[in-house]
Amino acid sequence: MASTQDRLRTLVAENLEVDGKPVEVPADLNVSLSDAGVPSMDFVAFAKVIVREFDVPLTPDECADFSTLKDLAAYIDSQAA
Amino acid sequence: MLRSSAAGCWWRPFAEVAEAAVFLIDLAPHGQHEAEALEWLSGEERARSRRFVRAGPRRRFALCRAALRAVLCHRLGCDSQQLTFGTSSHGKPFAEVDETPEPISFNVSHGRSHGLIAVAARGRLGVDIEERRARDDLEDLTDALLGPNEKREFALLRGNARTHYFFRMWTLKEALIKALGLGFSQDPAEFEVPLAVRQGARTGTFRFPSRPRAVWRVDDLGTEDFAAALALETMAQPRQSSDG
Repeated sequence: MASTQDRLRTLVAENLEVDGKPVEVPADLNVSLSDAGVPSMDFVAFAKVIVREFDVPLTPDECADFSTLKDLAAYIDSQAA
Repeated sequence: MLRSSAAGCWWRPFAEVAEAAVFLIDLAPHGQHEAEALEWLSGEERARSRRFVRAGPRRRFALCRAALRAVLCHRLGCDSQQLTFGTSSHGKPFAEVDETPEPISFNVSHGRSHGLIAVAARGRLGVDIEERRARDDLEDLTDALLGPNEKREFALLRGNARTHYFFRMWTLKEALIKALGLGFSQDPAEFEVPLAVRQGARTGTFRFPSRPRAVWRVDDLGTEDFAAALALETMAQPRQSSDG
């Protein structure tokens, strides 16, 4: 089964773009969606995708509090533990 | 006082709604504007600008923040060096002059090519702007972001009418959420734009179902080029408990 980081990377690729181009996510996920320039509309919808895909409690505000996608992946894993 | 020089300003007055003034920002690539904007930013703001991975978001941030500085400095009668920004617990910025908070209310939004600044002497307000564009994921976004009646109305539409409806609803909702000032702890799918506005009225009044004491005026500021909206707090009945 794919790791949480891999699934998260796939979800970003499938759901998010900036200026018509895929969001660039480094291998270590050490980037924030804010720094990537993801618009708020897509950000809110993406937080709901995370809730549905991983079955974790997460509001868009809480999602925004994570400094990086790596931190978000760690939170998802902690909820599954 | 901040003033754009030879190349002219990249922002201009766009609308006046009640006591709020709205300015339209041109975010098209423009080397001179971008260089000038960066000069106006604080060191912290320039560092924020550099953290953006791509040039587009970096440019939009610099042009919007510099325009905001110019508008606020004009209103407050201060120099840019005196103006700093604090942030509420939900991330909404407020202005400080010489480290003293100012009651002036403002909000900023940007799409790809245009931005908006709304400013008023007092009272909560929020603004949003989005360029309408066909998207493959429009139904997914509608499912995630609109309320039940809004989804039903969207489903009855076809083609460009769907795109127009979605972006109109979203900008009205985001303007209201930004005006409320609690971030996206307020789920946009858990409230709906007033029926008359959904049916085409350019302005209406609104109450959040979970915070009914505060009354908001909401205005559709959309043009042929973009969808846009402004929300203003109009009145508040005496409160027995906090309603945001």
